[in-house]
Amino acid sequence: MTTSGISRRGALRMFGIGALGVAGAGALGACAPSGASTSSNGGDTKSKNFDFTSWSLNEEAAKPSIEKIIAAWEKAEKSKIRAVSYPYNEYLSQLTLKLGGGETTGAVHLDIAWLAAVAQMGKLADLGSVAVDAGYTDVALESGKYDGKQYGLPWNTGSIGVIANAKLLEKAGIKKHPTTVEEFEAALRELKGLGGGVVPYAAATKVAQLKDIFPWMQTFGCELLDGAKVTIGDDASIDAVTWYKKLHDEKLIAADVDRFDARALFGQGKAAFYDDAIIGKGVTAAQSKDKTLADAMQPMKRPVLTAGDTPQALLWGGVIAVVKGKGQDAATEFALHTTTDQATVAQYFAERALPPSTKAGLIDPKVVNDTFSTQWTEKITKTATGSPFWQFAQNAQIEEAVAKQVQAVLVGKSKPKDAMKQAGEEVAALIKR
Amino acid sequence: MTSTTSTPLSRTDTLRPATTSAGRTSRRRIRKDLLRSRIAAWIAVVVIGAFGLLPVYWLLATALSSPESTFQFPPKLIPTDLTFSNFTALAENDQLIKYLVNSLIVASITAVLSVVVATYMGYSFSKFRYRGRRSLMHLVLASQMFPQALLLVTLYAVFSSFGLLNTYTALVLSFTTFTMPLCVWMLKGIFDTIPDALLEAASIDGASRWRTLHSIVAPLAAPGMIAAGLFAFVRGWNDFIFAVTLADKEKQTLPPGLVSTYIGEFQTAWPELMAASLVVSVPVVIAFMFLQRYLVGGMTAGSVKS
Repeated sequence: MTTSGISRRGALRMFGIGALGVAGAGALGACAPSGASTSSNGGDTKSKNFDFTSWSLNEEAAKPSIEKIIAAWEKAEKSKIRAVSYPYNEYLSQLTLKLGGGETTGAVHLDIAWLAAVAQMGKLADLGSVAVDAGYTDVALESGKYDGKQYGLPWNTGSIGVIANAKLLEKAGIKKHPTTVEEFEAALRELKGLGGGVVPYAAATKVAQLKDIFPWMQTFGCELLDGAKVTIGDDASIDAVTWYKKLHDEKLIAADVDRFDARALFGQGKAAFYDDAIIGKGVTAAQSKDKTLADAMQPMKRPVLTAGDTPQALLWGGVIAVVKGKGQDAATEFALHTTTDQATVAQYFAERALPPSTKAGLIDPKVVNDTFSTQWTEKITKTATGSPFWQFAQNAQIEEAVAKQVQAVLVGKSKPKDAMKQAGEEVAALIKR
Repeated sequence: MTSTTSTPLSRTDTLRPATTSAGRTSRRRIRKDLLRSRIAAWIAVVVIGAFGLLPVYWLLATALSSPESTFQFPPKLIPTDLTFSNFTALAENDQLIKYLVNSLIVASITAVLSVVVATYMGYSFSKFRYRGRRSLMHLVLASQMFPQALLLVTLYAVFSSFGLLNTYTALVLSFTTFTMPLCVWMLKGIFDTIPDALLEAASIDGASRWRTLHSIVAPLAAPGMIAAGLFAFVRGWNDFIFAVTLADKEKQTLPPGLVSTYIGEFQTAWPELMAASLVVSVPVVIAFMFLQRYLVGGMTAGSVKS
């Protein structure tokens, strides 16, 4: 019988064969048609039938509303839309692969944070000519732009801001929302005094969500990126992280909290403030046993360092982009209709509470009668800005690099100054890559 | 005399209690050691059991809870408001049933294909001597060294150029790529344990090589083939990344299907996800229950040679 043990010679041979295999695999891949080398994914641009790719097409909460929009379009235009979907957390990598491979065509739903990375592939159509007179708000229109071109038609434009629990604030004797960092800190101490395990501010402290530190850094005066220069590591960023660490040490914020934990704490009346997108109200209220919580949830301007400063908030939302090639014209019309048709927009808001991106949509009775949404737009979205790092394909790694350094400070493994210097260097290296 | 006789007696008398006491101490020590080792063994069993079973318990507890209870803080170990609504909702979801059928088709074909091909390859490696045999064996094993993500991009490009994307074929071929090497080596080990004398006897009796493999060797290697098939089935059943990349919604299997359905942009439907995970693990659990003796036998069969 033969022996199946591997000798050193055998192992070397195996590595050699492995290397050949890798080369072969690479060669096979290279022989495959490369979509990335062409700017269009081919096909008849006039075709009435096209694909619509969206992560929401599989999600139980969103699927019925979007299917309704698709069905109405198909009926009116006598065309066929093929629905394509990937899970949200896999969406960008799958889309990048398939857009590059030439498989993705038609209309594509994008998170505004991904637009730059996808636009850089050179496959998206410039929709500037159709967007210009469509009635979008300036903030919304800006969210669909990259490098001066309108690659996405804004579908929903909102922001990530601070939500307050009015009942808890009242219980702690806080009569109005704190407007400065100093007032905010004082309010957190009052809330801490309530006892009962209350976490005054359920701020993100887990790496996965610590990108929430960026608006606080901006509040303290750090620009994050000044032209091509990374400013993380400057005095303002160090001050912001030092302050965050102080809140952590005084137990005004808690360790190991991400968005899901924050919602859970807030939903059970154990947190007075937390950061979320506008849609967070519906999600948090739905998972709370307190059926009056929704009424107690209030959008709050992020406190500023000095009275008169502009409150910081991160822009958040979705756009519909169109891939050059098959079905491009019809997909553009579909994207325009979905994002601007008054009845469609209002109905979508009523079903999903996602704020519209058009001026007319924002004054629709269905939207106006929703006090939370209108207040949110006024208090938070109005001054929200996109992250300067969205323009880089390495955005996720940049956020993670900073988050890890902030966490190192929170757990006492690093000093704010060293950590921010390190974070700044890592971000600069990632940008250069 | 009295004194001489009395001395050993007295010595015996004095020695006996001493011996008994030493014996008792020694026995006590042995008992203590035994007790200690038993306690240590039980603690080990409980800890390891907790590692293995607590996640399953938590899966079940969450599946039987309402969304409000799921997010209760601090969490409750024993759910108080039990509900079966998460399970009944599954039956009403046609798309999930489609994912389940796709998983069954793809995993079953992967298992059969892997076993059939690996049987011939393993038999060839084990019982024939030819030029390049060892290199081929190592080539098969080397394919396990590549990161899956690296092969994914290549396989995607290849399947795309052959027009195989969004087909069962793409999924089966890609899964088989990963199951084949282990199946081949597993079956080769089993064939190694079958004496050459048996093959020679079959040859003397006039059996062709084909007949020898199918009528004599294969029945003897059946436990190993079942074990290899089960391994391939589970691999095909659990894969996420290939299934999400190579197949569209119509051909997608359960892992990406469940993630798409229940893990969203804003929230995760934990109770429904746990209920679905529990239900979809049933076929694999049943398969293991029926075939576990083959699995254990098959996995270890190649480890000892005759």
